[in-house]
Amino acid sequence: MKTSCKRAMTILFLLCWLGVFFQGQSAAQTSRGPDIAVVVHPDTPISDLSLAEVRKVLLGERQYWNAKLPVVLLIRAPVAREREVVLRVIYQMTENQFKKFWIAKIFRAEAAAAPKIVYSSEMAYELVTVLPGAIAFVDAHDVRPGAKVLRIDGRLPGSRDYALR
Amino acid sequence: MYRGLLVIAMLAFTTDSAWGQASPAADQTEQVKALLERIEKLEKRVAELETKQSAAPADSLSAANVAAAQKPQQPEAPPAREDHGMHTTAGQAEAHYPSLQIRGFADADFSATDQRGSLSGFNLGQVDLHLASPLSGKISYFGEITFTAQSTGYAAEVERSIIRYDYNDHFKLSFGRYHTPIGYWNAAFHHGAWLQTTISRPEMVRVGGPFIPVHFVGFLAEGNIPSGGAGLGYSAGVGNGRGTSISRAGDAGDNNNNRAWVVNLFARPVKLYGLQLGASLYRDKITLTNGRNFREWISSAHLVWAKENPELLAEFANVHHREVLSSLVSNSQAFYVQLGYRLPWLEKTLKPYYRFEYIHSPSSEAVLNLQDMVGSTLGLRYDISSYAAFKSEYRNTRRVAGQPRVNGLFLQTSFTF
Repeated sequence: MKTSCKRAMTILFLLCWLGVFFQGQSAAQTSRGPDIAVVVHPDTPISDLSLAEVRKVLLGERQYWNAKLPVVLLIRAPVAREREVVLRVIYQMTENQFKKFWIAKIFRAEAAAAPKIVYSSEMAYELVTVLPGAIAFVDAHDVRPGAKVLRIDGRLPGSRDYALR
Repeated sequence: MYRGLLVIAMLAFTTDSAWGQASPAADQTEQVKALLERIEKLEKRVAELETKQSAAPADSLSAANVAAAQKPQQPEAPPAREDHGMHTTAGQAEAHYPSLQIRGFADADFSATDQRGSLSGFNLGQVDLHLASPLSGKISYFGEITFTAQSTGYAAEVERSIIRYDYNDHFKLSFGRYHTPIGYWNAAFHHGAWLQTTISRPEMVRVGGPFIPVHFVGFLAEGNIPSGGAGLGYSAGVGNGRGTSISRAGDAGDNNNNRAWVVNLFARPVKLYGLQLGASLYRDKITLTNGRNFREWISSAHLVWAKENPELLAEFANVHHREVLSSLVSNSQAFYVQLGYRLPWLEKTLKPYYRFEYIHSPSSEAVLNLQDMVGSTLGLRYDISSYAAFKSEYRNTRRVAGQPRVNGLFLQTSFTF
């Protein structure tokens, strides 16, 4: 038991060290760019969320805005910049990890369906306008007048230190 | 005069044509560029016109501020347009009930060990079908059926069959057959081998193993607990508990007049995204086929870092049995620690991992019929695509003190479809 425990501890230590080493490397590789606005259906009873709360919504841990209004997640299809930012900043996952996350989530019976995929900002706007409870992510350059844009940590797109870029 | 102009024009045309023939690629590139620019301009114009058309008169939060900060001025005078696009996409996104989704999981395995009498070779793992079907905005059905290869054919099993009503995020009530929410692994990974990092489950949560009751038939309430940054959640349920066969749930009915209950509390702290801490309690009365009755308490705790750089899963459980007649007490313990890391090279397809696990059951234990075990697993997972993986493992285990260790090589390809 003692010998095997020592071996186990050595391997665990080496793997921990590898983890810390590469964590530092990958953190240095993040990039910055134009802001991504969080747009919701006009009747959504929310106007300000922290980044952690947005994460809870996107992770499917918060599935209702209130008892009568379920969250409808709209995510851009792969390759879109909006999706890249959402995966990098909020999910902190690669494309494969994101796919696996939602398969596992449904498999665990924690969610009945994955986010709906939208193929353009146009489509995101149309759905966010007609689907109660919908939340979408669009390039701040394309924000239309009249759209309900959420403040993230009290900041709007274009503000200094805005989280989603 | 006109003839002169015509000659000049002809000359210019032929010169231009000759130049164009001399460098067709450059010319085409220019044309494509020009066309792309034109398309871009037209797309912008269409978007602007549509924006004007669909903009609500009462400006909500601060879209105007965003536009002012991020976007140049809008051109005026939008013409009327038809909303065909909107109806198409909205129609596609409309929810239909019931809407059954089926996902399959399967794996093929190879194993070879130096244990005396063991045979090496290939085997088909489990074919697993998962069903999810929203029945309305707040009611969903989840099911899981497995087909496991046996020497005489395939054994079909209903692993889970759950109908759930969501009131809100804080209260969701479901009925059916579950994977018992004791600890982490048993409720997180279920049967699809592709979902878990390793080839096999830890011994303490092995399907068909006796240590914890893997399945549970009854009802379960679950949800989030309002707790700010602590991110607390719960699941609590009442069910039949262990059946006559200790490793099975009482699917067709309880084997005594005593219900089991389970409570699982966990925290996902907001500031430490990826971390999950939790503890579970399970209480049951077990009636063995020989008529002996035991009170069972299972207490468990887990610590999980759910990201993949690194991934850490650690779980401990204690199973306490007390015989009702003799008050004979026994405590069996098990734990595992699993660490993995998704390497940054080769498009993050490689993930080495290591797991140490331990099970101890005292000689006074009369219910579990379990051998002690100490084991290490060292493996490498290679995700060949988004939905398929190869895994290879070396395992070193010892079942009984004093007995030789068993070394084994295990290979698996697992996938979802």
